[in-house]
Amino acid sequence: MKDKAQVSEKFAIYDAELTTRPKIVIGMGLRGFFSLLKLNKKGVWNLALIFLIYLWSIVFFVLMAGEGNVYPCEEMSSEFKYCQPIAYYGDMGLGGVRLFLVTLAAIASGGLIANDMNDKSLHLYLSRPISRLDYLIARFIPIFLLLIFVTVVPNMITFMTQWSSSGLEFDWIQNHKWLMFDIIVQGLFYSASYSIIGLTFSTLINREYRAAGAFFLFVYGTNIIVELFHLFVNDDRVLLLSIAHLLDIVSFEIYGAEYYFTSAGVLKGIELANLEIFGALTLIIGGCGLFVNWMISQMEENK
Amino acid sequence: MIEAKNVIKKYGSVTALDDFSVEIPKGKIGILGPNGAGKSTFVKIALGLITANSGKVTVLGENLDKHSVDIRRKIGYMPEHDCIPNHMSGVEFLIEMGLVSGMDTSSATQRTHEILGHLQMGEEKYRKIEEYSGGMRQKIKLAQGLIHGPDIIFLDEPTSGLDPKARQEMLDTINGLTEISNTNVLLSTHILQDVEMVCDHVIIINNGKLQMKENVKELMKRQSDFIQVRVGGDIDGFVDILKSKEITVTTDGRILRVPYVSDQTFQQIIDAAVDNKCQLYEMERSKVTMDNIYLEVVE
Repeated sequence: MKDKAQVSEKFAIYDAELTTRPKIVIGMGLRGFFSLLKLNKKGVWNLALIFLIYLWSIVFFVLMAGEGNVYPCEEMSSEFKYCQPIAYYGDMGLGGVRLFLVTLAAIASGGLIANDMNDKSLHLYLSRPISRLDYLIARFIPIFLLLIFVTVVPNMITFMTQWSSSGLEFDWIQNHKWLMFDIIVQGLFYSASYSIIGLTFSTLINREYRAAGAFFLFVYGTNIIVELFHLFVNDDRVLLLSIAHLLDIVSFEIYGAEYYFTSAGVLKGIELANLEIFGALTLIIGGCGLFVNWMISQMEENK
Repeated sequence: MIEAKNVIKKYGSVTALDDFSVEIPKGKIGILGPNGAGKSTFVKIALGLITANSGKVTVLGENLDKHSVDIRRKIGYMPEHDCIPNHMSGVEFLIEMGLVSGMDTSSATQRTHEILGHLQMGEEKYRKIEEYSGGMRQKIKLAQGLIHGPDIIFLDEPTSGLDPKARQEMLDTINGLTEISNTNVLLSTHILQDVEMVCDHVIIINNGKLQMKENVKELMKRQSDFIQVRVGGDIDGFVDILKSKEITVTTDGRILRVPYVSDQTFQQIIDAAVDNKCQLYEMERSKVTMDNIYLEVVE
């Protein structure tokens, strides 16, 4: 037996003052967020993508926001008939930002639960004073914050640049307060949705890189298949089967704008009932949440 | 410390715990049982990781139906399987576990270094866990369960997969760390010697039911020498003669067990066989061990 004298009196009579569950969860989430930004093998990809997104935002949006132009529509081709606020801020596909966003979501979320399941440290986390839901929230926070960092923040920078171009008048903010609200809600919506889907793939395929690849293929694969399918069936409801289209449709709803999409190089509008749109969204996001919860509960019961 | 009343837990058609009731006192308690007996299920229920289909469980006076998460502030858990992230160092891992338990960073850091010091880990505590030996990984697993100073630690097969030297070290470490930190222990294992070395009490589970609850010292006292005798002819008469000489005999068909007192006992048995004119086929001195008791209870 080891020499007892090696241990301090404080160790022997240790009585931990443990913090509350919400603080534990937020702490876990923040540590997870900062670990995504570390300059290590994985973090460097995240940082590179963040850099690309910010570079794209600055080049494409901020520099194009000329004086007097509320939106860059006037500088765009007249054939771009659907020019509206959403085209400037919301449509991640327009500027190519969504490609980076989905890639970032895939890479950053791939290992969040997969690594815990793979090395089985999930059991240790769940044996702490946190519930399964607490654990999921703690794993949701890092990817959610990261995606907010590349959706809400760049768009708000663009918004502020426009305000600056308009002479920093408070009236301008008053007149565009709903636009600002839409930017924030849309960023939160995209971030939350991609985070939940990312965590689902991380749970489903408990290998980090495979989960990231599957996530990416799921988003863009279904996108291409659905667009091709739409050419044949010509029914807008098939678009709801593509997560990218579905999120974009809801995003347009947030801005109160008419949805359009490009199919075979042609811009098309759609007609869908709100019930169909939000029903599909609830099914997919709710299903993802329930699935992750079920998978983890199965892990708790089995070694 | 832990009280279970009429606990039933089923996985589909398999009943893991079948109307299981037990009162576990404070101290160091061993749960023994064969694979699939329900040990791990009971530990997971007591930890609040899974819920029973019916019945009531209280841990440290708290009802698990209401406080299944918060009770884990007072519980440490060392799972059987390997569950340590390889990409972290021992120090990083223990600090993370401390923080997830609700400790602040400075307390978690200080306690991490104290525990690792007790485990006699020097510079290797800063190395990645993937470079650790099996024994070191087990010790780190034990340390993470004790990092937040729990009242009780659940150890699930802590010596599983260790060589004899590492096993002995692990048991010493368990004894050392839990004694100085005054932590109660619930040790789930199928290795009897682990229970002998660590525990004050033992409970034996089989087929989801409590088979035995005993003080380990009392159980050790039952370990005694005996002479196993196989005879032919009139066994009842033979037993009567032995009893008339105030020798206790237990029978199991044609096999008899006579407590060994001295070598004179052999002569007394021979004399009894001669007096009763029965054939003496076999006479062998044996020992009642914990193994015998365990097998007897389980079978």
